Amino acid sequence: MIEMTNDRMKTKHFILTIKDLVKSFNGNTVISDVNLSIPEGELSAIIGPNGAGKTTLFNLITGYHLPSRGTIYFEDKSIAGMQPFDIVRLGIARSFQITNIFPKLSVLENVVATVITHQKGNLNFVTPTTKLKSVYDRAYQILKDVGLADRPHRQSGTLAHGNQKILDIALALAMEPKLLLLDEPTAGMSPEERWRTVDLVQRLWEKLKITMLFIEHDMDIVFGISQKVRVLCYGTMLAEGTPKEISKNEKVIEAYLGEEVD
Amino acid sequence: MVGGVVILILFALPFFLAQFGKSGEFWIWVTTEMIIMALFATSLNLVLGYGGMVSFGHAAFFGVGAYTVALLMKKAGVNMVLALMAAPCMAALAAAVVGWFCVRLIGLYFAILTLAFGQLLYMIVFQWYTFTGGDDGIHGIPKPEFLGPVNYYLLCLIIFIVCFLLMRMIVNSSFGLSIRIIRENLDRAKFIGINVRRYQLVNFIVAGFFAGVAGGLFTELNRFAQTEFLHWSRSGDAIFACLVGGMYSFVGPTIGSSVLIFLHIFLQQIHQSLVEIWAIFLGLILLGVVLFAPEGLVGLYEKLTGKAKVD
Amino acid sequence: MSPEFFLFILINGLSQGMVLFIVASGLSLVFGVLRVINFAHGSLYMIGAFLAFSLSTLLPSGSLWSFIVLMILVPPAVALIGLGLEIPLFRRIYDKEHLLQLLLTYALLLILDDACRLIWGGDIRNVARPEILAGSIEFLGLFLPTYNVFILVVGPMIALGIWFLLHRTRTGNLIRAAVSHPEMVGALGVNVSRVMTGTFMLGCWLAGLGGVLMSALANIDLGIGMEKIIECFAVVVIGGLGSIGGALLSSVILGVGVSLIQLPLSRFAIVFPYFAMALILIIRPWGLFGKPER
Repeated sequence: MIEMTNDRMKTKHFILTIKDLVKSFNGNTVISDVNLSIPEGELSAIIGPNGAGKTTLFNLITGYHLPSRGTIYFEDKSIAGMQPFDIVRLGIARSFQITNIFPKLSVLENVVATVITHQKGNLNFVTPTTKLKSVYDRAYQILKDVGLADRPHRQSGTLAHGNQKILDIALALAMEPKLLLLDEPTAGMSPEERWRTVDLVQRLWEKLKITMLFIEHDMDIVFGISQKVRVLCYGTMLAEGTPKEISKNEKVIEAYLGEEVD
Repeated sequence: MVGGVVILILFALPFFLAQFGKSGEFWIWVTTEMIIMALFATSLNLVLGYGGMVSFGHAAFFGVGAYTVALLMKKAGVNMVLALMAAPCMAALAAAVVGWFCVRLIGLYFAILTLAFGQLLYMIVFQWYTFTGGDDGIHGIPKPEFLGPVNYYLLCLIIFIVCFLLMRMIVNSSFGLSIRIIRENLDRAKFIGINVRRYQLVNFIVAGFFAGVAGGLFTELNRFAQTEFLHWSRSGDAIFACLVGGMYSFVGPTIGSSVLIFLHIFLQQIHQSLVEIWAIFLGLILLGVVLFAPEGLVGLYEKLTGKAKVD
Repeated sequence: MSPEFFLFILINGLSQGMVLFIVASGLSLVFGVLRVINFAHGSLYMIGAFLAFSLSTLLPSGSLWSFIVLMILVPPAVALIGLGLEIPLFRRIYDKEHLLQLLLTYALLLILDDACRLIWGGDIRNVARPEILAGSIEFLGLFLPTYNVFILVVGPMIALGIWFLLHRTRTGNLIRAAVSHPEMVGALGVNVSRVMTGTFMLGCWLAGLGGVLMSALANIDLGIGMEKIIECFAVVVIGGLGSIGGALLSSVILGVGVSLIQLPLSRFAIVFPYFAMALILIIRPWGLFGKPER
């Protein structure tokens, strides 16, 4: 049995490893002793009741917060304590729960700016951005992939909420990440928009073969597409397993699913 | 093109004004000052309008440029061309030092720290009597014979146009776009991989560089340099110019600066005593613009002619 | 250098620091509740000082009662001026972006500073200290200016008063609630707008009080407004935003620092606040008592 486990572990490469992570704000412990390992290429979900610390976890991974204790390893490199812009350059990208785009800029400019940054072309003082053909082609391609190519010059702040969230995802994609973190990608969307987004997420995962981790409240979505589900409750990891295992886990049902009986 | 027509008019202007003798000379001087101040205001707008950062100490770099020219030409006998080239370099250096401290903060902390550094530099120039002449300033700066009012105007105009085009190129480049996205959403900019502090610092230095050009030209125009050049009220003038003209357009600061200078002179001509209340008058205009027309004259124009405002 | 001289410098610095604390706490309070930095706060302080001067010319000089009248009348007058600014102006900008807020209060600074110049002219003024506070008192064999000691007593009293107001009264609780959860306070049926206006007036009251106290401590001129707002900022940067204790400590450090540097390098004493600010920004950007942003 042990041998079999070892063999399985040998073939899996963990892209993200978090050990004993703790985060406190002013004496309030928001994340306590979280351990998780995400294998490369996995599409998984993090669920948990409101206030469980899911977004804080994302913030810790991406460098927005400093861990109080614990380690975070991305591809065998310790990233705890690094600045967000350095972490992003290593290959982690995220989208946000509350839309976080560049409102006065056009949809296309949002993506163009991200592509330029990814290609490290920001210190170009000379060439007008409009003349950067390869950048524009790539930006258009990304917009096509997410379904926003029909309104490139619209001021992004004027887009419908759902489309703004999709643009947020597009920005994350433009960074060609190895690990993509999506924070409640369907929050605030109509049911139709929801399934479109879910469909998009699954298509992207299949096409790009990157590791994806998303936070979701909609259980249909979570059980519909994720390979693995991790449950966070009051800052601790309550359970981890396949969707089927989780839906049968008594602790989880008690803490969380009990409120949302299907 | 409107731009081409305007440039032609600007080139022809001094010759036209020269017909009017002493009065004409005065107006040539005024328009030269307008050109220089437009350059100063446009340089500030790189940080203010495009960078979204309020800098109250920009006059310090204007002053460093001014005193560089004054000191090099008066005390070291350097010729004008070299002095005018050294001015922006010294100003950029000052901006690098000041900026390094200031970009560690954001928003209003940044604003006050720039004010404090501006005052600091002002105070240093004021107190360092032996070097800078303190309160007296530096006078009698040499000026080449052939640069009479008309010719100096043309020199300033050419330098202005070159700087204007350079700054516009920078604004439209990838760097300019990066600066604008930092303004739009600083945190998100970090999350797409931009080292925000570094870019803000570079932007600050570039702005300081061009302010130094303006300072150098101004010193040569007046043939003196004074501590007043570094006073925070000069920084304030530039801020107003950007606001009144329109912070979010490239040509706004030029328009705002020229309008304000014109108003000032105009009031002076009407009645000497009106100049006494210029500061209050200016403050009221600023109040009005902030409350009712934050996009300035250019913004009003675009609203009236129905042009959509996309960055 | 004699111990008397040293003590004199120290006391002088401490009292300047106290006045600074009073003014800076007003600024801090306004920022905490309204989230607006009032650039013109220094101008209001200056107006307080000049109003004290004007009023003092109408009252018998040197009398303790005259001074008490000044302390009672001038700060509310400044608070009223603040009210006059808050209703038509500040209310309109609470929801606007920080850039515009800064520019608006900067415009106010210009208008108020120049109005002072027009009303009171460019001469240096001061208010005569009331006779009872004009001399020196003996302390451990050394003589200290009474007025400075007076301020050293008033300052902490004000600090305690503010603490008491914020932590032990219903109004204070409302203010502190408004700082952390403005929407919640509104939902509880409290007139949030009134809390904000009230806090703003309190901030102006403090600025005015600082002005009155300063008018008899040292000479006042048209530059003190600008000077004070920068010093207030140094206080907030060094002490850390949101900390009254930090504000007190940094005010004292700044007051004493400026005073002490007068000795060797009088010409550069005035740059001490900037120097201290720069130092803090290198070592601890979030101030002595603030919290790191990550």
